[in-house]
Amino acid sequence: MKELAGRLTALDPDAGAAVQVIAYFDRLAEARAGVEALVRGAAVLAGVPARLADAERRVRVRVEADGVRRDSDLPPDPAWPAAALTPGGAPALWLERSDAAPSVVDAVILERAAGVVRRVLDRTRGRAPLDDPALLETLLDATAPESARLHAARRLGLDPAAPARALATPDGRPRVLPASREPEAATERTGVGPAVTVLDLPRSWAAARTALRFTADGTAHDPGPRVVYADELGGLALLADLVAPGAEPPPDVQALETATAEAPWLLATLHAVTATTSLRAAAAEITVHHSTLQDRLVHAEHLLGWPVRTPQGRLRLHLALTMRRLARP
Amino acid sequence: MTSVPPPFDPELAAALELIKDVISPGMTPQDIDVVRQGPGIALLADLDLTQAGAFEVEDRAVPGPQGAPEISLLICRPTSPAPDRPRPVVYHVHGGGMVLGNNRVGVDVALDWARELDMIVVSVEYRLAPEHPHPAPVEDVYAGLLWTAEHAKELGGDPDRIVIAGASAGGGLSAALALLLRDRGGPRPLGQLLMCPMLDDRNDTPSSHQMAGLGIWDRTANETGWTALLGERRGGPDVSPYAAPARAEDLSGLPPAFLDVGSAETFRDEVVAYASRIWQAGGVAELHVWPGGFHGFDGFAPQAALSRSARAAHLDWLRRLLAE
Repeated sequence: MKELAGRLTALDPDAGAAVQVIAYFDRLAEARAGVEALVRGAAVLAGVPARLADAERRVRVRVEADGVRRDSDLPPDPAWPAAALTPGGAPALWLERSDAAPSVVDAVILERAAGVVRRVLDRTRGRAPLDDPALLETLLDATAPESARLHAARRLGLDPAAPARALATPDGRPRVLPASREPEAATERTGVGPAVTVLDLPRSWAAARTALRFTADGTAHDPGPRVVYADELGGLALLADLVAPGAEPPPDVQALETATAEAPWLLATLHAVTATTSLRAAAAEITVHHSTLQDRLVHAEHLLGWPVRTPQGRLRLHLALTMRRLARP
Repeated sequence: MTSVPPPFDPELAAALELIKDVISPGMTPQDIDVVRQGPGIALLADLDLTQAGAFEVEDRAVPGPQGAPEISLLICRPTSPAPDRPRPVVYHVHGGGMVLGNNRVGVDVALDWARELDMIVVSVEYRLAPEHPHPAPVEDVYAGLLWTAEHAKELGGDPDRIVIAGASAGGGLSAALALLLRDRGGPRPLGQLLMCPMLDDRNDTPSSHQMAGLGIWDRTANETGWTALLGERRGGPDVSPYAAPARAEDLSGLPPAFLDVGSAETFRDEVVAYASRIWQAGGVAELHVWPGGFHGFDGFAPQAALSRSARAAHLDWLRRLLAE
């Protein structure tokens, strides 16, 4: 019976083998086995090495079919059968089987092992930040008891003693990151709250949502920064309270909209003027000739009705562009 | 009497799920034939004894006890060039509750040691109960050891460095063999490696009650095995220590012993007691109690972390023993 476990997949991939696989992982789960035992179970039952790699929680375990742990730095082969730890997530558990088509039993092994691995990681290492909406809601709710917010922080894998910051994106779902970690390159508009203590995160979240309103898609129709740090807004942040989203925009913003309808290049050109240190740099930014820029600005001043090349005019323009983003519904 | 059993190690609990259809905790006398013909023994014996050519394997019939049939020894010699010094020998006694198995069962474990430590393996076939009650099994084991010691040199082995080893009933028979060799003035083994040995026919320790119906080889199976060996004498006043070594009154003068056992098996308390009594008698013993281990766990689930530790402990003890 020594090799019984190893022989399991030598059987036809019939219901009997699948039932045994399920029973095996159920028992491991009941007995509160650790991650290595789960990966070993997958390897032994499949008869090939199995590996777990969860980048978010920095877990890497690779066990060979003889039960010995031998981690590997080589990347997983995309051809290997794999399973994600969450529905729709990236593959995190692999069976290193490249010689043959994956069997039904492989699929059962991966599915059961991944399910238990996820529960064990949640229990032992906390969920990845962003993962649990209910916990985030508690963490960012200033009216929740402090003990509940600290508990939520720990469950989310945050160190309650270390500063953290909240991030806001247009979908409205908050994210929280340790302050020591830089937000990854933004693919969508992101407002970044200040780094604060864990109990102060509701304030960071409010500031992040404000900062989000100052962001832009960075396109010709919506030029501007895609990521805005609340810390860097200074007094501009006060504007956010004055311009209500979706309300009737201030006259200067209306003037911008009217002018844009006539000159589609207008917004990107004017943004370049406010976002660079010289007209020459602005021309380079939007890749037009310096003289073309001059011509455009003359035209823009005519459409807007105020100068944009004087310091006062540039400030007015800057405020108008900013208020335009704040007025976004 | 304690009723809450210690939990099985998580990996071993899961492994039990896989083998529960093949092996159940209990075994009645009526089950013996069924198990003998079942898939389990065949699976255990279905091994590449040469270990991919590392060993030259031979079955040799040698004289049995006086007036008894010949016995068969499975002799596995390394194919690597002979070292300067004759090789040490593992004299292996298979398990199977006194009623099951053959000299292939469990020999892969001995071959692993032999490969690591350049040893010769001799595995003895003994007559099984209930067809052959005590003393047939232990006398066969004894006769095989005498032949091995006398012929060690011709096998390239060192008669002064024979380690006797066995698991379960094979551990019990090895312990009995050590007693017999001491008392009859036979060759002295270098050591005795007793893995989860079956030592006590009384079947009445706390662990034997605690693990009833659980794991592998519970008190029902144990009663079946001992009754097969001893008949109505089982548990009575006149059981020989050469049948049940726990009955020995004197455990002094024995070769150094290694004993191990799972915390979640019938034999836990009798093995711990046997080790303690060796120390009390001024002897040398090393004892490991593997937490959450069921009977024979390292054979049934060799990949489990606890099994790997147990096997490393066996090898480590042998290495130290042979280094002396």
